[in-house]
Amino acid sequence: MEKRISFKEFLFILPILIIISVFSIWPILDSVKYTVFDYRLNDQQNSKMFLGSSFNTSSFNENAKYVAYYLKKDMEAVEDETQKQEFERIIVYVKEMMAVYEGQNQNIKLSGNEAHEIEDFIEKVKMDISNLYQVNAAANLSNRDNLPMIIEDLEKSLISSNFIGLKAYGKVLQDGRFWSALRNTLVFTIISVFIEFTLGLALAMIMNKAMKGIGLIRTVSLIPWAIPTAVSALMWSYMYDGGSGIIAKILADIGFVSSPEQLLLTSTGAMICAIIADVWKTTPYMALLILGGLQTIDSGLYESSQIDGAGIVKTFMAITLPLLKPAILVALLFRTLDAFRVYDLIAVLTGGGPGGSTETLSIYAYKIMFGQTNFGYGSVIVMMMFLCVAAIAALFVKVLGADVMSKN
Amino acid sequence: MDKAQNVNRIWQTIFILLIVLFMGIIIFPFFWILVTSFKPTSEIFGEGAYSIYAGRAVIEHYKTVIFEKQILRAVLNSFVVATTTMVYVVSIAILAAYAISRFNFKGKNILLGLILVISMFPQMIVVGPIYNLFTMLNLTNSYFVVLPYSTITLPAAVWIMVTHFNKIPLAIEESAKIDGATPFETLVKVVFPLAAPGVFTTAIITFISAWNEFLLTITINTNKEYHTVPVAVAFLRSQFSILWGQVSAATIIVTIPTLIIVLLFQKQIVSGLISGAVKE
Repeated sequence: MEKRISFKEFLFILPILIIISVFSIWPILDSVKYTVFDYRLNDQQNSKMFLGSSFNTSSFNENAKYVAYYLKKDMEAVEDETQKQEFERIIVYVKEMMAVYEGQNQNIKLSGNEAHEIEDFIEKVKMDISNLYQVNAAANLSNRDNLPMIIEDLEKSLISSNFIGLKAYGKVLQDGRFWSALRNTLVFTIISVFIEFTLGLALAMIMNKAMKGIGLIRTVSLIPWAIPTAVSALMWSYMYDGGSGIIAKILADIGFVSSPEQLLLTSTGAMICAIIADVWKTTPYMALLILGGLQTIDSGLYESSQIDGAGIVKTFMAITLPLLKPAILVALLFRTLDAFRVYDLIAVLTGGGPGGSTETLSIYAYKIMFGQTNFGYGSVIVMMMFLCVAAIAALFVKVLGADVMSKN
Repeated sequence: MDKAQNVNRIWQTIFILLIVLFMGIIIFPFFWILVTSFKPTSEIFGEGAYSIYAGRAVIEHYKTVIFEKQILRAVLNSFVVATTTMVYVVSIAILAAYAISRFNFKGKNILLGLILVISMFPQMIVVGPIYNLFTMLNLTNSYFVVLPYSTITLPAAVWIMVTHFNKIPLAIEESAKIDGATPFETLVKVVFPLAAPGVFTTAIITFISAWNEFLLTITINTNKEYHTVPVAVAFLRSQFSILWGQVSAATIIVTIPTLIIVLLFQKQIVSGLISGAVKE
C-alpha cells in the first residue's frame, strides 16, 4: 500500500513540516542542548554556550602589561629590600606568561590543559598581589585600587567552556525543590482529574437523559472551558480573597479555616483552592466529551438489555462502560497531561505560594528560566517534565492498546 | 404501572434539580463578579462585600478600566492574534489533514506520531528557545508571537480535520479524478464544500485556543501595547491587587466576546471537541 510520496502530494504536507520544524521540533532539540551547558543569560561568562574555551589574547596581553607596569611603579615606592624582591618576582612571572602569547591579537581556542594553565596563572597572580599589598599596607602605593580592577579584566579574557555534560541532571535529582514541585504537580493532577472524571461521568449520564434544554446545558457547560484560564483564575482569586472573598467567608463560617485570610495562607488551603478552580473549569468539558461518547452508543442495546431484565447497574457495567472506554481514556489522557502541565492557573492564583506549597513543575521551571534567567537548569527541569509526560502517555497508550492510532 | 411512573417522575425531578445545581455552580462566579463590578469601592470591602446586590450601582470601574487601563486595547490585540492564528493554522491543517486522510505515503505514521507528540509535550519546553530566537531576530513585542502559537493549535486542528475528511466518501473524489482534476483541484472544488462544517469547527476551536494563550505572550510580548486579554487581566492583579472593582469590570468586559462565540457556535464547538477525543 505504501509508496513514495509524489511531489504534488508532498506540497500538501510541506507547510506543516516547515512550521512544526521551526516552532516545535527545533525548540525541543535546542532545549536539550541547553541542558548540557551551564547557560545563564545574566552571567557574562555563561550567557552563551561554549563547547571549548576561548581566550582573548589581545585583551590578555594588554591587561597583563598594565599589571606589570603598575607593579613596577609601586615597587619604586617601597623601601624594604625583600619586599622589592617580591615585587620583582611577580613582575617576572607575569612577563614570562606574556611572552607565550606575544604578538597574537585575536580570540583563540585553547585545549583543556592550556586553559587550566592560564586559569592557575591568573589565580596565582591575584593571590600574590593581594598578599603583597596586605603586607605593605602601611606604604603609600598609588595603584592599590587599580590592580584588582585590572586583574578582573584579565580574568575576563579567558572564557572557559560551560559545557557540563549530564551534571545538571544529577543535580536535579538531588534538588529538594524539584521533588517537592513534582509532588505538588502529582497531587494536583491526580486529585483534580479524579474529581473531574467522576463528576463528569455522572453529569454526562444525567445530561444524556435530559433531552429537553440540552442546547442551553451545553452552552453553559462550554463557558468555563472557553474563557481564558488566567481570567477564571482571577475570578476565583477574588472569591478566595481574605478581605472580601465570598468563598473564603463561607469556608471560614463553616469552620473549614479559622479565618477568611487563612484560606490562601495555608499550604493545604491553597492547594485545595487551586484544585477547586480547576475542577470548576474542566468538569463541564469532561462531561461534554463523555456525553459525546454516550451518544454514539446505539440505543437499541439499552432496549434489548431492558428486555433481558438487566438492572441499571448491570446495564452500566456491561454496556455503557465498555463502549465508553475509548472515549473515556482519550479524554482522561488529555486531561491528565493538561493538569500535569498546569501553569496559568497557579501562576495567577497563588504564584506557587505560600512557601512553595503549590509550586508545580511548570511554575518552578519558569521561575528558574525567566526569574533567574538560568536557561540551562530551567531546561533540565522542563526535560524532567517531558519524561514524566512521556511516561504518562505511554501508560495510557498501553491501556488504550491499538485504539488510539489504528483508525488512521 | 402507576408506581413505576411515580418512581420515574421522582428520578426525573432529581435529575432536573442536579442539572440546575450544576448550572448554578458554573454561573455563580460570573454572577458574583458582575455584581461586584457595579459596587462602589466602599461596598466591596467590609460589610457590603458579601451582599448579593450593589447598594448603589456605579459604572466607575468600567470607566477606569476602559479609559485608564486600556483594556479594549488588549481585546483588540487578542482579536488580531486569534484571527491571524486561525487563518494560517486552519489553512495548513486542511492541507496536511487531506494528505493524511487521502494519500498513502511512506512516513505518514511518523508524521502522525510527530503531531501526537507535539500535542502532548509540555509547552514550557519551547518557550526558552523561542524567546532566544525572537530576541535575536528582534521580533519580541510584535504580532509575530502568532507563529509559535502553532505548537498549541496545530495538532488539534489537524486531528479534527482528519476526522472530518475521513467521513467524506471517497467515491466523489474518485469521479473527479477520472474527470482529470489534480489533487489540489479536487480538494478545493469537491472536498472543501463538503468539509465546510469541519473547517468551521476547526476554525472556532483554533480561535479560542489562540485567544486564551498565556505563556508565550507573557514571555515574548512584555510591552503593554501587545498584551492580549489573558495577560492584561493577569497584570491587573499584580498592579493593584486589592482593587477588585476594576478587576471585576475588566473580567466582565473580556468575557463578553467569548460568551458571544460560545452562544453562537456551541454546536460546532462541541462537535469539534468530541471529534478530537472520540474516534468515530
